Amino acid sequence: MSRSTFWFPFFACAALAISSAGADDGVAFFEGKIRPLFAEHCAKCHSADAPKVKGGLRLDSREAILGGGDSGVAIVPGDPEKSLLIQAVRYGDKDTRMPPQKDGVDRKLSDAQIAALEEWVKMGAPVPAAFVKTEGAEKHWAFQPIANPTVPEPADQAWVKTSIDAFLFAQQPPAPPADKRTLLRRATYDLTGMPPTPEECDAFLADASPDAFAKVVERLLAAPAYGEKWGRKWLDVVHYADSSGNDTDHPTPLAWRYRNYVIDAFNRDLPFDQFVREQLAGDLLAAAQPRERYADCITATGYLAVGRRFGSGKDDRDVHLDLEDTIDTFGKSMLGLTISCARCHNHKYDPISARDYYGLYGIFASTRFSFPGGEHHLHPRDLTPLLPPDEVAKLAAAKAAIDAANAPENRVKRKIRGTIELLKMKFHDVKKQVICDVPQPREIFGEKKPEMAYAVTEGKPANVHLQKRGEPKELGDEVPRKNLDLLGGQLVSPDGGSGRAQLAEWLTAPQNPLTARVMANRIWLGHFGRGIVATPNDFGTRGAPPSHPELLDHLASKFIECGWSVKAMHRLIMLSAAYQQTSQAEGGFSRRRLDAEEIRDTYLALAGELDRTPNTGHPFPDEALWAFSQHNPFKAFYDSPKRSVYLMTQRVQTEPFFALFDGADTKVSTPLRYASTVPTQALWFLNDSFFHARAESFARRLLVLPDDPQRLAFAYRLCLQRAPTDAEAQTAATLIAAYQRESQSRLESWSAYSRVLLGCNEMLHLD
Amino acid sequence: MNRSHSRRGFLRSLVGGSLLMPGIVSELLAENGAPSPDDPLLPKRPHFSPKAKRVIFLFLTGGVSHIDAFDPKPRLFADHGKEMKVDHPEVNGRPDYKQLFLKRPQWEFSPHGQCGTEVSTLFPHLAQCVDDIALIRSMNTSHSNHFQATLGMHTGSFAFARPSIGSWVSYALGTENRDLPSFISIAPFLPYAGAQVWASDFLPAAHQGTLVVPGPEPVANVRRRAATPRLQQIELAALRELNASHLATRAEDTVLAARMRSFETAAGMQLAVPDVFDFSKESDATLAMYGLTRGQNTGFGWQCLAARRLAERDVRFIELIDSGSSSNWDSHDDMLDHAPRAMNADQAIAGLLRDLKERGMMDETLVVWATEFGRTPFNNILDAKGREHHHWAFSCWLAGAGVKPGIVHGATDEYGMRPISDPVHTHDFHATILHLMGLDHERLIYRHSGRDYRLTDVAGKIVKGVLA
Repeated sequence: MSRSTFWFPFFACAALAISSAGADDGVAFFEGKIRPLFAEHCAKCHSADAPKVKGGLRLDSREAILGGGDSGVAIVPGDPEKSLLIQAVRYGDKDTRMPPQKDGVDRKLSDAQIAALEEWVKMGAPVPAAFVKTEGAEKHWAFQPIANPTVPEPADQAWVKTSIDAFLFAQQPPAPPADKRTLLRRATYDLTGMPPTPEECDAFLADASPDAFAKVVERLLAAPAYGEKWGRKWLDVVHYADSSGNDTDHPTPLAWRYRNYVIDAFNRDLPFDQFVREQLAGDLLAAAQPRERYADCITATGYLAVGRRFGSGKDDRDVHLDLEDTIDTFGKSMLGLTISCARCHNHKYDPISARDYYGLYGIFASTRFSFPGGEHHLHPRDLTPLLPPDEVAKLAAAKAAIDAANAPENRVKRKIRGTIELLKMKFHDVKKQVICDVPQPREIFGEKKPEMAYAVTEGKPANVHLQKRGEPKELGDEVPRKNLDLLGGQLVSPDGGSGRAQLAEWLTAPQNPLTARVMANRIWLGHFGRGIVATPNDFGTRGAPPSHPELLDHLASKFIECGWSVKAMHRLIMLSAAYQQTSQAEGGFSRRRLDAEEIRDTYLALAGELDRTPNTGHPFPDEALWAFSQHNPFKAFYDSPKRSVYLMTQRVQTEPFFALFDGADTKVSTPLRYASTVPTQALWFLNDSFFHARAESFARRLLVLPDDPQRLAFAYRLCLQRAPTDAEAQTAATLIAAYQRESQSRLESWSAYSRVLLGCNEMLHLD
Repeated sequence: MNRSHSRRGFLRSLVGGSLLMPGIVSELLAENGAPSPDDPLLPKRPHFSPKAKRVIFLFLTGGVSHIDAFDPKPRLFADHGKEMKVDHPEVNGRPDYKQLFLKRPQWEFSPHGQCGTEVSTLFPHLAQCVDDIALIRSMNTSHSNHFQATLGMHTGSFAFARPSIGSWVSYALGTENRDLPSFISIAPFLPYAGAQVWASDFLPAAHQGTLVVPGPEPVANVRRRAATPRLQQIELAALRELNASHLATRAEDTVLAARMRSFETAAGMQLAVPDVFDFSKESDATLAMYGLTRGQNTGFGWQCLAARRLAERDVRFIELIDSGSSSNWDSHDDMLDHAPRAMNADQAIAGLLRDLKERGMMDETLVVWATEFGRTPFNNILDAKGREHHHWAFSCWLAGAGVKPGIVHGATDEYGMRPISDPVHTHDFHATILHLMGLDHERLIYRHSGRDYRLTDVAGKIVKGVLA
């Protein structure tokens, strides 16, 4: 269709839609009643995805609907009686009945459906502008280059601590600053997911220097706990889990390496663009990196490997679902785009075509993913060694030498030779000969096998065919492996292998408008509880527009300017007046509840029971014994006193505590945590054995002190970093006295009081 | 029901002991006053006048054989052993399945009730209830694997995690009993697809199913750990004091107040939940109706009686799953494995229907009987004892509020291979359940991740034939 014929009905329809009773109502009517009807009853023959478009009529775009087919115009907006489509669905004329009979059975639409179509035509056949890719969608703000806006001149320089404030407080001042205790508590949880210790609190309160808070931020950024907190946020986005999510939920015992890689990357402040490149194509970049980074680069591709798997591992029946998960996570995490919408049809709202989808699909289909095992192939395969190929070859050669030496025929030979030599030689010569006979490689390498990672490597590079309506058996044209059109649409070069290395470059190129914006928004969200774009995984036309577009671009350009340093962004944000505002004023900082990990880790820490060392793998059952099936899927819970980020997390089964306190969804990318308030959470505080045990341990810490006032003061310092008020001291005294009367137990009384303090709103929320 | 009375009584007892601050008490007692707008479980209006107030969803897991239970096929008896060919996903590509033979049903059928609906001897008790049910013999679904088909029957999605039907209903209608969750799933073991079966997914977490496991502690953490109620009251009162003084300078924050309220609900649940599962006041006759012996706290009879008691307490959506991902209806090896499953479920379900009827609760309760798919009318050896998965056709039924009783809807071909009239897909089944709850499945929409989602995806037609 030429450009001119495209525009004519486009404008005609737009005009009609606007002139009808209400454009929005019309569009809503179309979305609610007509689009699903077209999709279900008509699309098989009347859409671009149809094997053969029947009668030349397509009902999958505004211009096609209004343009009509071989029999002429199908719809006359406003006039159902003149609209061929309406005549057809009324089943009047035998030859033009639609939908047509199948196997001799009429498939007439219901009266209600026909009435809806008539109503819609009467309304002027309104179709939303974004029904198909339109010129307008490319003008969407998020697809424009990142501007570097001039920092505004605020009315009062005193309102400004960092450039962020100039954008937010150009006209009115920020809310008053939070007190130092509140600020320390906020910053410590935000960066480490842990409460500040009394000593840290004392030091900060005693430090009157102007950069006292900056020093706190540096200290927190340097703490290993920082990576554990912020790594977890990225693990949410990539829906990390320690099992695969297929029918058997097969464990992935090596996934932990990727988890630790992520934690380590945040701790080292690995530039985010490099982080992106390594996750997509670390295996291809490793050779050019220093030798000591080789294992890291391989491990990084766990980003792709830890995706969700479907089915039972029987043939390739579910590969299209596995790759949909890959593409969905890739789009949301790196670009803030819902690319997977384009699996079955061109994206309805964003300029992402099914060709874009299958262009990426080809890249990932040309990649070999570690296979976790499934009902039909119980054991994992295609794991990647953490050694460069030449070193693997050396090991293999060494192993071959061992094997050869140990092969039965050689053993016999050796024995015979040894016997002959024995006959020939004196005793000490025999001894020497026997020693020489022991294979050298075993002494050098022993039984050493290379460490492995759950990762990806290159497969056989090949384009794929478009899958019509997402059906892997209904193939359309071959689609070249390529970048998304909206990011440039470059093709993978013939010698580009799968194309992942190029994809990684396209993603981190300075002209890519999304990668930096999306991550800058995530960092902002991590501090303020709400993104500048409230839909962090959807920067498309259906996502939320930025509340402060210039600030977002400022942050994104700063992010690139400072070498994609995430830690530099923390400094920029946390040292701002905006971050340091009180929460107890209108427009101030947003109070938030601790998340599930923070709750668990805090209680373990306050109980004096938290093991702060990092974790490696999990005590999965011996792989040789795996016999998981749909009927007996993998299911386990491995308790551990380590931080929650290190707990074994299953994809299909959710650990009840994390389900209860809104933990990450391991089935799909989690861009932000919600904080629900349900009575079953309160039951947890009232009666759960974990909570009661932590409170009792906490009480034991208090009881070491000589008297109740000291115990109470210590409890408040540990939990809330402040002294109790008189009223609070009275509450404590009343409870302890009453409880002791009833229970006759000092430990029980203090345990009860500890539960109250550990479970109170002030403890659970950050001002 | 004296629920709110007892709750007020409980709160007043705290006031009497000066354990609550007076301002907070009035807020707590104002349960009929201005509701908190942030409360996701507030009762909401349906789209139109509903037939049913609540759903009891019985899920018999593993794939109940339609042709051995609800869909009589005389030709299968007659043509037993005949070789046949079919392009079937459970058979294609399996080396030992080159030859296929029709297999006769294991149980005899006969007409029952006034309506004369034929049911086999597998379900002798249910056979007595046919006048109360609308049997759908033309069910079909989109996947022949347990995991996907189970997910589909619960969420309308055959691959990806989506909100469960119970979560959708809770989201749409809220609940009237704040001492109990709006959506409760009673399952002795985890089903195929695990907790996704009752998950709220992207809907607010308050709508997720609360899992009840038959046994001594059916709901987690509901058993009071404090030694006496008095001790717990002391603790709750102190908590309330701390929270109240914290709230005093943050009064605008509804979440803080909601969390305070949640402790009162939780305290109520400690009483309400054990009360639900305490069957000691049920008569011997009632217990016998469900096939229960006094003191028994497992088995489908226990689950069915618990469902009636939850229904009495206005829980919105109650799901009962009869077993888990093993030892279920998946009788590949021998159809006689259906017999112990039927023993567990048959009398229990019939008892539930009778009990609901006798108590006048059928008028506002919708009972749904479902399984994920049926079983093949054929197998690969002449005298194979079992059957494979069959998603092209199977049987489900509805009973109770708004359902036309004593009818059969739809039919399958002579072997039960495919529906030949009025096919009902799981999406249609869901649309019909929502319709009976006063909900238009095309209007029950949730915007998530830039897209509008429905339980029925872009499909679903109300099965008018089963509506009263």
